[in-house]
Amino acid sequence: MGEYASGKSEVAINRALELKRQGREVTLVDLDTVEPFYTLRTLKNDLEKKGLKVLAFTRAQSFGLGETGAMLNPAARWALKQEGDIILDVGYGVFGAQTLNLVEGAYESPELKIMAVINYSRPMTGNRERIRSYIKNLGRVDAIVANTHMGDESTIDIIKAGNQEIFIVAAELGIPIAYQVLDEKLKDSGEKNWEIPVKYIKRFMPTAIW
Amino acid sequence: MPQIFEASKKAFITGNEAIAWAALAAGAEIMFGYPITPQNEVMHYWTRLAPEYGKGFLQTEDELSAGFTVCGAVQSGKKAFTATAGPGNVLMQEPFGMAEAMRLPLFAVIQQRGGPSSGTVVYSQQEVTLTTYGGNGEGHRIVYSTATHQEIYDYTIKGFNTAWKYRFPTFLLGDGYQAKMREPLEMYNPEEHGIEMVKTYPLVGLQGKIGEDREPQHLCNIYSLEEELYEVVLKFAAEYEAITPELVEYEEKGCEDAEIIILSHGVVSRAADDAVKILRAQGIKAGYFRPITLRPFPQKQLREAINRKPARKLLIAESAYGQLDRLTKQEIYGETVAIENLFMPGVGIIDYDIINKVKSIM
Repeated sequence: MGEYASGKSEVAINRALELKRQGREVTLVDLDTVEPFYTLRTLKNDLEKKGLKVLAFTRAQSFGLGETGAMLNPAARWALKQEGDIILDVGYGVFGAQTLNLVEGAYESPELKIMAVINYSRPMTGNRERIRSYIKNLGRVDAIVANTHMGDESTIDIIKAGNQEIFIVAAELGIPIAYQVLDEKLKDSGEKNWEIPVKYIKRFMPTAIW
Repeated sequence: MPQIFEASKKAFITGNEAIAWAALAAGAEIMFGYPITPQNEVMHYWTRLAPEYGKGFLQTEDELSAGFTVCGAVQSGKKAFTATAGPGNVLMQEPFGMAEAMRLPLFAVIQQRGGPSSGTVVYSQQEVTLTTYGGNGEGHRIVYSTATHQEIYDYTIKGFNTAWKYRFPTFLLGDGYQAKMREPLEMYNPEEHGIEMVKTYPLVGLQGKIGEDREPQHLCNIYSLEEELYEVVLKFAAEYEAITPELVEYEEKGCEDAEIIILSHGVVSRAADDAVKILRAQGIKAGYFRPITLRPFPQKQLREAINRKPARKLLIAESAYGQLDRLTKQEIYGETVAIENLFMPGVGIIDYDIINKVKSIM
């Protein structure tokens, strides 16, 4: 989960595909309650061709429902009953981790990990104070994925400087950093000196609706 | 005015957020609104920022009310604004008309969605006619059509100033793509860029005795006699025409030797810009013309661009079924350039669409 446009879906998709490549069974769940018909809908078919199971509305399922609005995909409610690895892409909104109230068995699951995706270039998480209060408002957070970037204008310097601020706040709050995320286009930057493990991601969301 | 940013900073944001931050930087005091996609995050972010900076927000019962509360707030001297889309834009035409009649410094953001009616929440350029000429009667307004997040930020700041300087309702016309797309931009305090914000002032409840200390403040949207209205309409039209040269904004590239000029506005002009570069690399002399102000329309400048070489063809590309096309034709009446069109109502246009069209007609 994380701030609007923090990169939650991109991180979720890439993590799901990474697990799939390891030969695991993976279900990716669109748990966006603000715009439930939009986030992963256009990507669903492509991702399923790559072997993922994607719980998201299809065009046929949402035809006539038209608008955005609070609606939970019934399959998402029971998502944790799926076999294998389950990744919940929790949409933004004021309820933070409470959105998991909608998922049966979320709090009883010993395996559930709540990861907050944070991009320091997003103004609402653009300084230490804002990151601190943002994370506190989310509720339970088990780990942080540092995802500082500036889209096509990302540089290693921007990423390093931003993520460093995230690390500082995470240390203060006693929350571990799971990993940091870099666009695969930056793989050849030559930078090797990463304090925290890096995962390179491929960007899928540019082909989403918005 | 208190500075919102310690220093200008680069950020990665959506267009809707850019509006909320720019409104804050411009010193906006209150937003009135009613939810509708794709403008919702303007409200979401304004309501998150408002308490931190001592600003106001009211969610009204509908768009009519949101528009009228802006009309009321600006009369009391508050820098107020609203944002809407689609059917909400239709409802707001009545208050927008009042702002035209009473010359109120209303600022509104329109994020176009598909139509008619609720259409789609996603994207279109189908609100051009409504936003430029949507009021009843013949009022005057200023409409900026943006193409990038930086422009959204810049023209939100500018829009407040235009509204308060000229006292014509002013609009920022975006769309669902611009609203939701993420891209980097520079956020800054207007002063840092040498922009002086026009001071707001109350239009009602003024001090002094009418007739002795000051002239009466006629803020009127209804008249008893035909002649009274006639005089006001002509006066406003003359005032608007007088300021038109300083208001008009446009962007032009490569029209000096262009065989074909691609005319587009808003986010489509990004595709047109790419298309022109590719076409030129392939030896086709294409030019680019983009009105930034859709009203007043840069008609003199477009006529000049057409006649420079002169161009043989003008291709009008828009995500609508001929709204920019009609607007353009009324503005350049008499030009003999052949006008072609690429109408893709409610869907995005990419460089490839434009290139294919150009090749099919050249």
